[in-house]
Amino acid sequence: MKIGRRAYPYLSILPVLLVVALFAIYPIIYAVRTSFYRYLLIRPNDHPFIGLDNFIEVVTSYYFRNSIQVTGIYTVAVVIGVILYGLGVALLLNSAIKLAGPLKVVILLPWALPAVVSGLLWKWLLNADFGILNSLLFSAGLIDDYIPFLAVPSLARLSLIMAFIWKEGPLVAIFFLAALQLIPDEYYEAAKIDGGGAWQVFRHVTLPLLRPVLLVVVVYETLTAILTFDTIFVMTGGGPGDATALISWFAYAEIFKSLDLGHGIALAIIIAAITLVLILFYLRILRTEETEV
Amino acid sequence: MRVKIRGLIKPVALNSVALLLLIFIVGPLLWVAVASIQGERELLRQPTRLIPQNPTLDNYEYVFTGKIPTDLDVKGNTLRSRISQEARLIPASLKNSFLVATSVMLINLLIGPLAAYTFSRMKFRGKTASFNLILGSRLLPVIAVAIPYYVIIQSLGLLDTHLSLILVYLVLTLPFTIWFLTLYFNGIPTDFEDAALIDGCSTIQSLTRVVIPIALPGLVAAAAFAFMTSYNEFLFARFLTQSIDSQTGPVLIAAIAGNPDASYSLISVSMTLGLIPPLLLALLLRRWLTEGLSTSITFR
Repeated sequence: MKIGRRAYPYLSILPVLLVVALFAIYPIIYAVRTSFYRYLLIRPNDHPFIGLDNFIEVVTSYYFRNSIQVTGIYTVAVVIGVILYGLGVALLLNSAIKLAGPLKVVILLPWALPAVVSGLLWKWLLNADFGILNSLLFSAGLIDDYIPFLAVPSLARLSLIMAFIWKEGPLVAIFFLAALQLIPDEYYEAAKIDGGGAWQVFRHVTLPLLRPVLLVVVVYETLTAILTFDTIFVMTGGGPGDATALISWFAYAEIFKSLDLGHGIALAIIIAAITLVLILFYLRILRTEETEV
Repeated sequence: MRVKIRGLIKPVALNSVALLLLIFIVGPLLWVAVASIQGERELLRQPTRLIPQNPTLDNYEYVFTGKIPTDLDVKGNTLRSRISQEARLIPASLKNSFLVATSVMLINLLIGPLAAYTFSRMKFRGKTASFNLILGSRLLPVIAVAIPYYVIIQSLGLLDTHLSLILVYLVLTLPFTIWFLTLYFNGIPTDFEDAALIDGCSTIQSLTRVVIPIALPGLVAAAAFAFMTSYNEFLFARFLTQSIDSQTGPVLIAAIAGNPDASYSLISVSMTLGLIPPLLLALLLRRWLTEGLSTSITFR
């Protein structure tokens, strides 16, 4: 057992470093290199150097503007929605009501599923001809005709947002619940003695203490939203038209539908850059938060 | 008196909200399960019945034995063409998923704690750099690395094998496992290990005999996360697998449902079967998962 104390740390992290190095460094080099070439998958043996043309063509295209717009609206809606939902569920779970118990048992279920399955689940529920939601609304007399949820652009976007909240909400709820449980009861008691109503206590005691977790949740869910792919793949296929063509879907479509690897990779690099900027921004906020405390 | 009524209204209102939430969360899951025990013709009624009139296991029988469900077995009827033969591959694909996810989980449990312990307790040159490299690798968007991964796997000659998926999922899961376990180990006081080291234990021994038993809840959570990530992954699996030799559940389910005239009852069966393993895991390991998730957000 005399491998030497000096070598031990390196040996213990070597397997991880090897795997990560192969699958992180090579892809970056490959992606950056490919982005400078005209790379059409229908012409595998002919790929001339074209400088930044891939980036220019992609950024100036109609589809790029559309996907940025769609991704932006979707991300803002989804992040606000998932935070309100998660916070509400967390407050219920943290309360003394009878149904908090059963709710705690099932809350993680949607989060545990493959995104492919949850996407299909919602597609099936919202089906325009045989979906159970249409059946229930119709039987209750709330609608006269079945609604083609996924064929109307605005409804398709709403459906995607709802599917996201259903699937991601549990995680956010658990995060908020963890933070809520760390708040000492004395804080609430003190606030009540000072004569604070329920809303005031929430606004001036609970909310400020949830701030650090809220920050993490905002960034994490923003990234998750921007990178949404599986759900779109099975639920809408970017449609109707290009109403739900988020940027990840656009990158996928460039590679696998237009067979233009150069465009797809250039887009992927743009996505990576956007997420990187977001993460750096977040780290900076965290640092200033910590110095404030 | 007013106070009493108000005091009653509040819990009733909150419980009703909670009930609606329960329906919102569990309803969709229950509905696929119910749809999977209905015949195709009953499922395609307008309006669809919430509670099946003639529940049947025909659809499941088809998936496992190939016996055509009576509801689809109408000669000359268009329904017969809706039978998705891929549905019969569902058990095999779930087995693939299970094999891959279990392997990834075990390898995570083997090399995850080893690396995390080093990051948590030791000082060495290049520590911060290597930690950041490992965590940073996870920041590359999946869609950006999908094609390069394909190229790597192809040049290793591993396309359409379990091994290719295991490798790629290790890249996906190890950074999280190591980050999470490093946090977890940081929260464990070093007193016991100091005593063990004085008694002549090696670093490995103090990890396996002292730290791991204390950190067991954290390890269970990390293992479950690794399993679920691998079991649920779709994009890489779609690129890297080509046949039922390695195709996983999500890939096959998406393929069956992607067929425009697939049978809804058979889609429901494949979804229900695909749902069962992660749902069971989430129910059985609920406490560890919740605790693990809470730890990951409140430590830091």
